[in-house]
Amino acid sequence: MLPFSREAFFAVFAHYNAAIWPAHIAAYALGGLLVLLALKPRPGNGRIVAAVLAIAWLWMGIVYHMLYFAPINWGAWVFGTFFIGQGLLLAWAGIRGKLDVHFKRNLFGAVGLGFIAFSMILYPLIGLATDHGWPRGPMFGVAPCPTVIFTVGMLLITTPRAPVHLLIVPVLWSLIGGAAAWQLGILEDLALPIAGISGVCLVFWKNRRARGLA
Amino acid sequence: MTGDRRKISRRAVLGSLGAVVAAARVGWRPALAAPAGIVQKAIPATGERMPVIGMGSWITFNVGDDEKLRDARVEVLRTFFDRGGAMIDSSPMYGSSEDVIGYGLARLKNTQDLFSATKVWTPLQWHGVKQMESSLDLWGLETFDLLQVHNLLNWEGHLETLLEWKAHGRVRYIGVTTSHGSRHDELEKIMMAQPIDFVQFTYNVLDRAAEKRLLPLAAERGLAVIVNRPFRRGALFDRFADKPLPEWAGECDCANWAQIFLKFIVSHPAVTCAIPATTRVDHMQENMGAAYGRLPDGALRTRIVRYIESL
Repeated sequence: MLPFSREAFFAVFAHYNAAIWPAHIAAYALGGLLVLLALKPRPGNGRIVAAVLAIAWLWMGIVYHMLYFAPINWGAWVFGTFFIGQGLLLAWAGIRGKLDVHFKRNLFGAVGLGFIAFSMILYPLIGLATDHGWPRGPMFGVAPCPTVIFTVGMLLITTPRAPVHLLIVPVLWSLIGGAAAWQLGILEDLALPIAGISGVCLVFWKNRRARGLA
Repeated sequence: MTGDRRKISRRAVLGSLGAVVAAARVGWRPALAAPAGIVQKAIPATGERMPVIGMGSWITFNVGDDEKLRDARVEVLRTFFDRGGAMIDSSPMYGSSEDVIGYGLARLKNTQDLFSATKVWTPLQWHGVKQMESSLDLWGLETFDLLQVHNLLNWEGHLETLLEWKAHGRVRYIGVTTSHGSRHDELEKIMMAQPIDFVQFTYNVLDRAAEKRLLPLAAERGLAVIVNRPFRRGALFDRFADKPLPEWAGECDCANWAQIFLKFIVSHPAVTCAIPATTRVDHMQENMGAAYGRLPDGALRTRIVRYIESL
C-alpha cells in the first residue's frame, strides 16, 4: 500500500517539473546526443555515455528522490541512496571505458532502440493521452521511470558486453516502480517491469554471445 | 472586616491558582462547549469526554507542498471542526500529513476543541524524542493531547520516553497502536501490564476479531479505544455502497453507509472514538453525521452484522 494518493504523486511532479524547467530540454538534448553516439560510434564514446547517464542518475537521486519525493514518501531516502549509488557506478564504468555504445542491426539493437524511443517519445505521449501530461507527468532524463527504461536500452547496445552490475538498480526499480504504477494506474509505467526483466535476460544473452565470439 | 475580607480573598485567590496548577498537571482541561446533540464518550483515565468521531490522516493529508491540495484539506478540517470534531490522529509515517495538518490549524479559527493525537515511529528511542519534537513543530503546538507508539515499534523504549513526557506535562495521554488485525497477542500483553491510557487498533463491521479479547480487555483495564480502518480504506464502500440501505437504518438515524459503518463501531461500549480519513468535504459531513443521533443497541448491532453478511 502506497503512503500517498495518485493526486499527491502527480502534484509532486507538477512542482518538480516547474521548479527544474528548462532542465528537460537539456535532458532531451543529451539523450539525443547519446542516440547519435550509438548510431555513429566513435572510440571512447563510452565516457560521454557514462557521464550523461551518471549525471542523470545522481540528479534523480538527490533532487527528485530526496528533495521532492521524500516529503510524501519516506522510502524515497532509500531510493535516492540507490540512485546515487547507480550514478557513481556509471561514472566508474565510464572511467574504465566499459560503456562504449554501438547500435547494431540485431535483436539487442532493435530492443535497445525500442526502449530508448519509448522512454523519450511514447512515454510522455501516453501520459498526455491519459490524465497526466506536462507538467504533471514524469519526464525523460529527470524522472526515474522513463530514465530507467532508457538506461536499460543503452545497456543493450553497449559493446562488446554490458556491465551486468549496472543492471541491478534499474531492474530493482523496474519492479518497485512497476508495482507502484499498477496501484496508481500509470499506464506507461507498466513498461518498466517489461523493460527490466526482458532487459536483464537480453543482456545476459548478449554478453554470452559476445564471450562466445571473442 | 474589610481587611479580613481582603485577607480571605487573597488566600482564596492563591488557593484557586494552586488548584488550577494542580489540575493542569494531571491533564484536566475545562469542558468546552460541544455542539448540541453530539455523541460523546468518556476517556476512562480522566472522565474527559470527546466526540465519538475523529479524523485520521493516513494518505489523505499527505499532499506535500501543493498549495491547492493543502487548501482543499483546510476545508476538510474546517468542516470537521464546524461539525464538532475534536480528535485528529496522525503520524510521522504519514509523509507530509502532520505538516499539512499544521498548515490547516494555523489557518482556522475554530480549533479550540482540537484533541491532537500523533505517534512516534522509529526503532531508535533517542530518535523518537527528535521525532516528537518535530511533530510539535509541524502541528504548531506546545503539547500533545495523546502520543502513541506506532505499530508497537520499539514500544519498550518509547513508552519510557512517553511516561517522562507525561510527567513533565508535555503530553496528557499516552498509548500504543496496531492496525490490520496484526500483533494482537503482543498488544494484549501491553494492555495488561503497561500504564497506558489509550490503545488503537482496527475494528469494523467485517473485521471484528477485536470483539473477542481486545475490546473487553480495554474496558476491563479502563483504556480508551481509538478505532482505525473503520472503512477498510474504502473497501467497505466498494463492496456495499451500491447495495440498498436497510430500511431499519433510520432506527439509528443513519442516512448513508458511512454512518452505518461508523455507528456500528462507536456503539460498542468499549470504543471511545473512530478515526475515518477523507479528502472530501462531503464525505467529512457524512462521517461527522455519525456523531449525532441514536447509536444502535446490541440487537441492532447484531442486525447490522447479519445484514452485511447476507449481502
